[in-house]
Amino acid sequence: MALMAETPQPPRVLIVDDDGDIRDGLVQVFERAGFVASAAADVPAMERALAVTGADLIVLDLMMPGEDGLSACKRLSGKGRPPIIMLSALGDDADRIVGLEIGADDYLAKPCNPRELVARARAVLRRARDAETAPPGESIRFAGFRLDIPRRELVDPDDVVIPLSAGEFRLLRAFVERPQRVLSREQLLDYAFDNDADVFDRAVDVQVSRLRKKLERPGAPEIIRTVRGEGYLFAVKPVL
Amino acid sequence: MTRSGRGLPIAAYLALLVALALTSAFVAVLAIVIWLPPRPPDVVPANVVAAHFKAGYEHMRETGELSRHGAVSWSVRGQAPRENEGSAHTRVTQVQLAEALALRPEQVRFAADHVERADTFVFRVRDVTDAARDGARVRRDRERLRREVERVVRERHRQHIGEAHTEDSPPEPADAEALEAEVRAEVDRALRAHRFEFDLPDLPEPPDVPDTPATGAVPTAPAPPAPPRRGVTIVAPAPDAPAVPIFARAPPGVALVSGFQVGAQLPDGRWLVMSQGRNWAELSWIGRAALIIGATLFVLSLLALWFARRLTRPIRNFSDAVQAVGVNPQSAPVREEGPRELRGAARAVNTMQARLRALIADRTKTLAAVAHDMRTPLMRLRLTAENTPAEQREKLAKEIEEVEALVASFIAFARDDPAEEARVRLDLAALLQSLADDHGAHGRNVSYEGEERVVITGQSLGLKRLFSNLVDNALKYGASARIKLRREENTVVIDVEDEGPGVPPEQRESVFEPFVRLNEEGTRGAGLGLAAARSIARAHGGDIAILDAEKGALLRVTLPG
Repeated sequence: MALMAETPQPPRVLIVDDDGDIRDGLVQVFERAGFVASAAADVPAMERALAVTGADLIVLDLMMPGEDGLSACKRLSGKGRPPIIMLSALGDDADRIVGLEIGADDYLAKPCNPRELVARARAVLRRARDAETAPPGESIRFAGFRLDIPRRELVDPDDVVIPLSAGEFRLLRAFVERPQRVLSREQLLDYAFDNDADVFDRAVDVQVSRLRKKLERPGAPEIIRTVRGEGYLFAVKPVL
Repeated sequence: MTRSGRGLPIAAYLALLVALALTSAFVAVLAIVIWLPPRPPDVVPANVVAAHFKAGYEHMRETGELSRHGAVSWSVRGQAPRENEGSAHTRVTQVQLAEALALRPEQVRFAADHVERADTFVFRVRDVTDAARDGARVRRDRERLRREVERVVRERHRQHIGEAHTEDSPPEPADAEALEAEVRAEVDRALRAHRFEFDLPDLPEPPDVPDTPATGAVPTAPAPPAPPRRGVTIVAPAPDAPAVPIFARAPPGVALVSGFQVGAQLPDGRWLVMSQGRNWAELSWIGRAALIIGATLFVLSLLALWFARRLTRPIRNFSDAVQAVGVNPQSAPVREEGPRELRGAARAVNTMQARLRALIADRTKTLAAVAHDMRTPLMRLRLTAENTPAEQREKLAKEIEEVEALVASFIAFARDDPAEEARVRLDLAALLQSLADDHGAHGRNVSYEGEERVVITGQSLGLKRLFSNLVDNALKYGASARIKLRREENTVVIDVEDEGPGVPPEQRESVFEPFVRLNEEGTRGAGLGLAAARSIARAHGGDIAILDAEKGALLRVTLPG
């Protein structure tokens, strides 16, 4: 992946699904979007493909005959594996959380908008490249708070769950993965609003102020600091 | 399963407890019988009572004050005390008492609750005063004896000397010592023999010497120096009396009475009455008996407490375990312990839990299969649509989204198991605010107003689903939604308002039923959103109701705060 950053080679995506039509359709979609796409019909085929050609990203179906996607994902995680997007017929929040907790980097329910899938794939790749800490399926602690990434929830120092909106979650995740760095509004837009084209700098400010309100605790130091003219700074060091 | 054996039935435990109680009662009675001396009687010889009364009566006559003797109570009354039907024994005592007081018999009353025959044994312990009195008497008698013997010996000596040499005035000092030794020897002899006899020659009466021992009443040594003063016999006091036996026969002819009341008329016509006081000996006996019974009861109640805890602990464990099973079918099986009935119940619960688990597993598998089979073709369709012209593609995508929404709501409703998710403390205000923000980010008009932080206990995903169902519903009929949150005493109240056509009153209950939609034409969705929302609210101990609104619909959710 470090290689990727230097050379403008297109990213390689491996699509694993037992349904032939979906496999072919997704390969087409990704190739049209400028990826190098290959396909595998089951987990052993996926492992062979990984061993032979490798991949920068895996789009993994959850329910397949033989070994299913969850157990394959569990087995793959840990070692320096490519990021995984789970594509599943189980679309519940609870299923999504299970998938993310297992170690998937993102989770999409079938049927999904193919363009959204491509956008998510790009976001996952970008995060894998940029973030200092990208621990899928875990939580990040900072200043007494805990950000539960699979559940997309913030748990405050009193152990109270503070639900976050999707925008707030993405923004906070972008901050905790790049702590103690000044992030410009453009960068934040890029990291946190990838699939919404029509957002402006103003929107970043609104989200930040909402997020600040949720992180505010009397007597505690400011967590997100404004750097005049430049952007924002996440002022505390997160602990994994 | 964890413990072998079928256990005892509860009846056996109870029988054991009853047997334990009876046994300890038996032990207590036995302890009283074995360890306590016989209950002390409070009978007193009637003549002693009479003598006591006489002393008190005389005290009253002399001083005009009541005697203060503690064992009996004294009083002066205008009326005569009760007369005893009585026995001959008390009658005799009454007459004797009257004589002793110099009163007529009808001026004396002697009544007793209980009169024993005179020949019963009296329970009596020789007490310290008895011993002291005896000792003092013996010492006094000995002293008197010694003085008498000394006097007689000196007399004899003087006569002897006078015969020998009359001109001699004082006796020799050696003679004095010999005299002393002779007195001691004579006294010893007299004590041994209990008798001291000697002869004196005729002597003139010594008029100048006051004869003290003669004037005092000497009961055991009746030795008044008789005028002839010839053979004098002095009886020495008897040695210490043997120990008084504990049981002694009461003096014959004397009644033993208890609960007595003795009265006699005073010169002024009133009556002096003496009644028997409390029998303290008996009270202390009762106290000791009560102590034994109390100690037994205490030990028994400790035992019973321990026993009850032992019996109920498995019941409590059972109820906790069953509760846990009710909340989470995956919880550990109930331990089969305690009484037999409980083990049976635990086994039944475990069987039920296993079936429940199997059922849940089946359902989960079925739902997953259904979801897979329905969504895979939709995904295929969606991908195929990518290859169609843009205009057609949008239309197709919309259709597919609608079908997907239907599938999602069916599956969500079918798998809806409010018990499965853990309950946490969460900020409901933040939840509603982020819901509004999420809709706002997609350009929909959803607003939130209310407090900034309202912490309740609930399921994070469940509550999210509840409120997003309500907001989706509002958006479906009314194009906008307003969420308001406020805290009341023990509840939090969340209103979701829309500006749609509203819900007619007669349909406000039925819309919560599954598959019921407000107006059949033109609406999408399976009609499951409100049903699911209500079941989530109820699982949290709250409810949803539709209220009157100025325009549109007002759905009010109440949750325990």
